[in-house]
Amino acid sequence: MADHAFLRMEDIYKEFPGVVANDHIDLSVNGGEIHGLLGENGAGKSTLMKILYGLYTPDSGEIYLGDDRLELDTPQDAIDAGIGMVHQHFKLIPRLTVAENVVLGQREPAATFRADNDDSRLPESIRNNRVVKSLAETFSLGLDAPEQRIQELADQYGFDIDVSANVADLDVGQQQRVEILKALYRDVDLLVLDEPTAVLSPTEADRLFDSLSRLADEGLSIIFITHKLGEVTAIADRVTVLREGRRVDTVPVAETTQADLAELMVGREVLFRIEKDDAAHGDPVLEASGLRADDDRGIESLSGLDLTVREGEVVGIAGVSGNGQTELAEALAGIRELTDGDLRIDGADLTGASPRAFVDAGVSFVPEDRLRYGCAEELSVLHNAGMKAYREDRFADGPLLDYDELGRYAESLVEDFDIRGVSDVTDIDAGDLSGGNLQKLILARELDRDPDLLIANQPTRGVDVGAIEFIREAILEQREQGTGVVLLSEDLDEITDLSDRILVIYEGEFVYETTPENADRERLGIEMTGGRVADEPADAVNSPEAVAPTAATDGAESTDSTADVAAAGDGD
Amino acid sequence: MVGIDLTARENVPRWLNYATPVVTILLALACGAVALLALGVSPLAAYWTMFGDTLLSTFGRTQTLIKAVPLILAGLAVYLPLRAGLFNIGAEGQLVFGAIAGTWIGLNVELPSVLLLPLMFVAAGTAGAFLAGIPAWLRAKWDVNEIITSLLLTFVALQLQSYLVRGPMQDPTGNFPHTAQLSAAATIPEALLGVHAGLIVAVVAVAVTYVLVRKTGLGFEITFVGANDAAARQAGMSRFKIYLLVFVIGGAFAGLAGISEIAGLQGRLRAGFEPGYGFTAIPIALLGRNSAINVMLAGLFFALLFVGGSSMSVAYGVPAALVEILQALIILFLITAEFFKRYHVDIEFDRAGDAATGGEA
Repeated sequence: MADHAFLRMEDIYKEFPGVVANDHIDLSVNGGEIHGLLGENGAGKSTLMKILYGLYTPDSGEIYLGDDRLELDTPQDAIDAGIGMVHQHFKLIPRLTVAENVVLGQREPAATFRADNDDSRLPESIRNNRVVKSLAETFSLGLDAPEQRIQELADQYGFDIDVSANVADLDVGQQQRVEILKALYRDVDLLVLDEPTAVLSPTEADRLFDSLSRLADEGLSIIFITHKLGEVTAIADRVTVLREGRRVDTVPVAETTQADLAELMVGREVLFRIEKDDAAHGDPVLEASGLRADDDRGIESLSGLDLTVREGEVVGIAGVSGNGQTELAEALAGIRELTDGDLRIDGADLTGASPRAFVDAGVSFVPEDRLRYGCAEELSVLHNAGMKAYREDRFADGPLLDYDELGRYAESLVEDFDIRGVSDVTDIDAGDLSGGNLQKLILARELDRDPDLLIANQPTRGVDVGAIEFIREAILEQREQGTGVVLLSEDLDEITDLSDRILVIYEGEFVYETTPENADRERLGIEMTGGRVADEPADAVNSPEAVAPTAATDGAESTDSTADVAAAGDGD
Repeated sequence: MVGIDLTARENVPRWLNYATPVVTILLALACGAVALLALGVSPLAAYWTMFGDTLLSTFGRTQTLIKAVPLILAGLAVYLPLRAGLFNIGAEGQLVFGAIAGTWIGLNVELPSVLLLPLMFVAAGTAGAFLAGIPAWLRAKWDVNEIITSLLLTFVALQLQSYLVRGPMQDPTGNFPHTAQLSAAATIPEALLGVHAGLIVAVVAVAVTYVLVRKTGLGFEITFVGANDAAARQAGMSRFKIYLLVFVIGGAFAGLAGISEIAGLQGRLRAGFEPGYGFTAIPIALLGRNSAINVMLAGLFFALLFVGGSSMSVAYGVPAALVEILQALIILFLITAEFFKRYHVDIEFDRAGDAATGGEA
C-alpha cells in the first residue's frame, strides 16, 4: 500500500430533485489499494462513482487524481485520466465478439494501413498520408493486434475467455470479465467495480479476487462497490461505509468485524441467520423426470434431471454459474423447450405446454435476468405489477381492462412490499427503480398470486442487505402457505438457510443431494466444481479447472451419482 | 478545435415529448422557406396560401378531409404494429389489395347499396389483412424481418394491380388501364360537408384503435410485447397472437383506405391510382405514435400539406415537388429529433487537440 492518497474526492455534494444523494462525502484511495465502498441500495455509492466516472457533475466538491485536479464532464474525460469502470449492468454489444467489444471506441485501423506494419502491401508513404490515415482510422478495423493483446491480458489475469467468441454466447461471469478487460485494455490506473460479484459464483468470485489482488500488486488502485460484507473483509484493504448519502466512516478492514460493518451500513443490528419453522410437506407440486434441454447455442445443458418438489418444501439448487441453472429455471417456468423428459405440475402433465399454461397452473417465476424476463423497463410500475394479473376477472370491466383497479393493485403491492421510489405507479417506469426495489416488485407480483410452485433463480443477486432479508423472509412465508419452492442460488448461505433439501447441479446433472443439517460446505464446494470426494479414485484433485467443460470420463462418473440422487429423490 | 460530446439522457423530459412534433414541423417549414426564397416567392405568402387559404375555404376544408381518409386509415395500419414493436412498411400494398378486392366486388356483385357497400368494405379489409398477415406470420413463426417482407409484398400488390387493370379487370369499353366505372350502388355516399362516408369509417377506426390499445387486455398485451417480448412471453402472453393481430388489423385498415379512396372518390380502379398513401403513412404513424388520436391529427396535417401544397404550386407556379420536399424534411427532422431526445449534446469550442479524439469515441 502506498502511503499517500492517489485519488481524493473532497466534499462531494450532489442533489437530485428532492433527494441529497451525496452529502459532502470525502473519499481517498491510495495507490495500489483495494478500497471497499459499502452501503445499502440508495446510500449514494453509485452516484458517487458516477461522479467519479464523469456521468454526473457534482454540485460542489473537488476530485484529485495524483497531483492533478480533474474536471470530469464525460466518461471520456475519466477514461483519459485513467479511470475505468465496470458497471453492474454490462455495456456490451451481444452480437459482436469479445475483441470487438473491447476495442469499441479505441479501434485500430486494419493491418494493411497500420504505420508500423512492415508486411503491408501498401507503400509506407501512402500509409502515412494524413487523408489515408484518417480514412483508414474511420472506416477500417484491424483486430489481429488487439486480439492478441487482449488474449494476453486475459491469460495474464487468469480470465478463461476466447476473444473471438460472440459476447451473446458467453455466460454472465464471462461477460463481466470482458468488461474488466475493456478497462484493462485502456491502461487505467484506477478501476471502479460496481458490485462485481453480484453475478459470480463463489469460485468465480475467488478467481476475481485473485485477479484483483494481482492487479493491485502491480499498482492499480481499485474501488470495489458492494453490499456484501464477506467480500469487503476478504479482499479490501480499507472500507468506506455510506449511509443515506453520508460517509459514516472509513476503516482499515483489519481493524473491524463484519457485525460492526453491518451496523455502520444499516444503522441497526442485522440478523444474519433466518429462523425457519418446520413446515409439513404435502403432495408433490412438481414432478419432473428425465428433463433434457439445450441452451441458446443448441448445446445440451440439462442432461436428464429428476426433480420432485412438495407443497411447503424449499429445494435449494446449488451450483456454479453456467451448469444448467438458467435452463432448468426456464424449463420449469415453461419458457424453455424440453428436448426430452416429463414435467407435471400438481399432477397435470405440462410437458411441452405453453408458458401461459404454466402461469395458469400456478407457477410463479423470479428470473435471474430481471431486465430481460422480469419486467419491461420502459413501461410503468402499473404495467409491470399487472404483467400476469391483468387477465384476472377482478380487473375486467366488461370487455375492457380496468386500469384504475390495476393501479390500486399496483399501489397495494408497492405498499405491502415496501418498494421505494414509486411516487406514482403510472408515472414511474420499472427501469427507474433500483435493483433491489425492482426485485421486490417482481417478487411481489409473483408471490401475490399465491402460487403452487415458485421458481426463484438468484432472487437476491445484486440486492442490498435490507432487501435480502426481506426477500428471504417473503420466500419462507410463502413456503408456510404451502407453496413449493425451487431456489437456485450461487450463494451457499442462502441455500443452506432457506432450503429443506439441497441438490448440487453440475454440467446439467444433479450430482449430490443433502439436507442443510448435514451440509458440509467443503463437500458442497467440491461437488459444485465437479471434483470428487476422497473415497473416489486418483485424479480427484482437479479443482478450478474442472469448471471448464470436462472430459467424457468425468461425465460417465457423474451419471452414476445422478442415479443415486434420483433414487434418493424417489424414496423421499 | 471543436469537440462534440454526446451523453445519453437519463430521462426524457416530459415537455420534450410534446414539443418534438411541433418543433419538427416548424423546422421543416423553415427549411422549405429557403427553397421558396430561392424560387423568388415570399415564404410567408406561400405558407399562408398553403395553410390559411386552404383552411378558410370550404373547398379547401373538404378536400383536406377527403385526403385525410386514406392517410388516417393507412397511418393506423402502421401505428398498430408499431405499438407491438413491429414496422409495417407495406401499408401501400395492403391498401392496393383492398382496393382491388373491393372494386371487384363492386363491379361483379349485384346488391342494393346498403348491402353492397359493407360487403365491399369487408372484402377490402380481408384482402388487406391477408396481405399483412403474411409478413406477420413469417415474423412470428420464423423471425423473418417484417420490414423487408412487408415492403417487398407491396411490389407484388402493385404489379398485380397493374396486370389486373390491363387484363381481367380492364374496362371492356375502352383501352385504358383502368376498370369500368363503379355503379351508383357501389359508390360511397356523401356523409357531411361534401365528404364521403369513408370519413366516418376512418374516425370509427381511430376510436376502435384507441380503445383497443389503451383500454383492453389485448392492448395491454400489445404494449407489453412491444416493450419486452421476452418478459411478455414469460407472463404467458402469446407473441404469435399479438404479432398476427396487430398486422392483420392494421392491414385491414389499409384495405379500407384503398376501397374508400376508389368507391368514395375516384369511381374506378386505375393503375397508379394513389400517390403513395401507404408510404406517407409511415411518417404519420411516427409523428402520432403516442396514441391513435395523434395519428388522426398527423393524418389531417399531412392531408393539409397535400391539398395546400397543390394550391400553393398553382398560385405561385412553384413545382409541386416542393410539397414532397417538405414532407421529406419533416421525416428527416423527426428522426433527428428522436436523436436529440435521447442524447444530450454538448458542443465545445477552443479545447486542446485531445477534445477532438474525445468526440470521436
